Amino acid sequence: MRKFFWVVMCVAMFCVGARAQGNYEIQVYGADTVPPKTLMMEMHSNYTIRGQQQTVDGVYPTFHQDHQTLELTAGINDWAEVGFYVFTSVQEGHGIQWVGDHIRPRVRAPDSWHLPVGLSLSTEVGYQRAVYSPDTWTWEIRPIIDKSVGRWYFALNPALERTWHGPDVSQGVGFAPGVKVGYDFTKKISAGAEYYANYGRLGAFDALHNQQQQFFVVSDLNVSPAWEINFGVGIGPTAGTDHLIVKGIVGRRFSWGKRSVVD
Amino acid sequence: MGRLTRRRFAQMSGLAAASVAMGGVGRAAELREQAGSAGLVEPAGAADFSLEIAPYLLEASPKRRFQTVAYNGQVPGPLLRMREGREVSVTVRNRSKDAEVVHWHGLFLPPEADGAMEEGTPMIAPGATTSMRFTPEPAGFRWFHTHTFAGGDLRKAQYGGLHGFLMVEPKENPAAYDREYFLALHDWGGSMTGGDDGSMNPVYDVSTINGKMLGFGEPLRVKQGERVMLHVLNSSPTEVHWVALAGHKFKVVALDGNAVGRERVVDMLRLAPAERVSAVVTMDAPGVWVLGEVRKHVQAAGMGIVVEYAGASGKPKWVQPQDLVWSYEGFAAGAKPEQSGGEVTRIELAFDSKFKGHGAQEKWTINGKSYPETEEPVLVGGRRYRLVMKNLSVDEHPVHLHRHTFEVKRVGGSAELYGLRKDVVLVPAKSVAEVEFVAEHPGRTLLHCHQQDHMDLGFMMVFRYA
Repeated sequence: MRKFFWVVMCVAMFCVGARAQGNYEIQVYGADTVPPKTLMMEMHSNYTIRGQQQTVDGVYPTFHQDHQTLELTAGINDWAEVGFYVFTSVQEGHGIQWVGDHIRPRVRAPDSWHLPVGLSLSTEVGYQRAVYSPDTWTWEIRPIIDKSVGRWYFALNPALERTWHGPDVSQGVGFAPGVKVGYDFTKKISAGAEYYANYGRLGAFDALHNQQQQFFVVSDLNVSPAWEINFGVGIGPTAGTDHLIVKGIVGRRFSWGKRSVVD
Repeated sequence: MGRLTRRRFAQMSGLAAASVAMGGVGRAAELREQAGSAGLVEPAGAADFSLEIAPYLLEASPKRRFQTVAYNGQVPGPLLRMREGREVSVTVRNRSKDAEVVHWHGLFLPPEADGAMEEGTPMIAPGATTSMRFTPEPAGFRWFHTHTFAGGDLRKAQYGGLHGFLMVEPKENPAAYDREYFLALHDWGGSMTGGDDGSMNPVYDVSTINGKMLGFGEPLRVKQGERVMLHVLNSSPTEVHWVALAGHKFKVVALDGNAVGRERVVDMLRLAPAERVSAVVTMDAPGVWVLGEVRKHVQAAGMGIVVEYAGASGKPKWVQPQDLVWSYEGFAAGAKPEQSGGEVTRIELAFDSKFKGHGAQEKWTINGKSYPETEEPVLVGGRRYRLVMKNLSVDEHPVHLHRHTFEVKRVGGSAELYGLRKDVVLVPAKSVAEVEFVAEHPGRTLLHCHQQDHMDLGFMMVFRYA
């Protein structure tokens, strides 16, 4: 009975990690949306240096997995965008594998509301293969609050997650916040920390030992309005988290439809 | 209808002077009609003119109201008409909660009256009243406005309603026109927004002409065949504006109140903050038209006014221009005047910004320093100076020199220009503008970017006289 309990716990905590796009897209969202007639193309590259080494319940280990995620985000209007993800994994013994796809519509509070903080709301739904995540269909709703104060930048993403298909379908809503604090050392170089967590089910959080807890040291390079560059190194101190990950995001903004000077 | 010049009009009114203070009721009423929504200062006791600074609720439209501060309970403030070279007395009563100062923009006043604390003009404390006497010069379309610090409050200083028209009538006025209107372009409801270049700049909810959004103010009423003089002021705290009158063209006769070197007919006007354009429009297209901002999003925010011909009706028509066209060069004299030249002392000024974070406004510098640490160049009376203004930043800057008129000599790589006299010049981004002036008004003289957010963050310097 005790052995069964630990197997269940182990699977459960892996599911938690995988549900939040796992280590496919590691990013705290800002409240701004992509402008209309613009496509943001981002490549998220994450490599798990120290992660889970065993196959658990048919799910591949994360150890030395190289995740390459293509994110395409198109602006709809001044306050809405839609994003689309293609998740892939590269790993010795498994080759290059398609993992799944997500779609993510997002709206934000218009500037005319004059809110003292940036505010937007993202929702994301998608599929991932069972060998990478036992919960194959998941849904997330992510409020986004951010604020720049002088050289400091703060962002909070208190995301809620729900499994639609998979072992956790009856687990209710999980709480998975993300936090970012950045500092502008120069106009082009910012650095700071990012925090990602999954506390487990709302109202019945997992024990800390089993929660996902990740801390990243990151840097953002603001070399051009057309480019987005972020990289960092993160540790996961709990048993439910991959222990050492490096991540990088390179994004390029493409605009079309010449905007007239009289618009 | 026979042509009525301003001079002839004054004669018919039995009033040699154009100052309202010197006019009778009939004169004031006629001028009020001509001035459109701009009011007039009535004689006030011992003073020729009286201004009261007090809180005011501006109704740009029934749905867009702004609590602000205004002169004499109106936005824009009253139209003051003075006579060139004739001394006037002005009383200013401050009923607002903040110390105030009135800057007489474009006049050659001594520093203690010019209206800038950086030059030495005393502030008017809340509840206090001050009186001044001065002799208005030079003639032309001037204006008056607050010259205070807004800081982070985008309702204060020039973000608010403290601005008004000042017309200094020349001793002789050969301008031939039948009617004149004064129009002030302004932006309201500002908030700071981060830009792609990493800086923060104000954006606005509402834009108005004479305090009203398009469709909510009184129309400019004209008659077919009239020549209408439009005196347009950009009193916006930060924004450059482009205006056109659908179905009509403008003949520009003066910039910043000074006759241009060459009159020119144009499709649209561009005005940087604090700039003025005086232009004659021949009313030869009967109908109901829109005079408005050329850029769609600004006109949609309200910047427009209806122009209505007598007897015409229907929905106001707008013809959307497809480009923004304007240059200073076209208004310069065609040839170098014979007496120009002489020794000129160059003063090099470099404008730049210092990054203070994506969540903060930039600090502005002149030659690497922000006011009050900026240099204080010393001018020698009677000497001619050339300001070589290198704009290293990615923003345009409307640079204003107090108490002097300068001649624009070069803008953005143009050839040498002649006869273009102004008191504000828009220095293009990443470019150079050069102006010349004669140091003939002793006393501290302020030079600054007229964008409120820039002057608040250091874009000012003072010249001293030896």
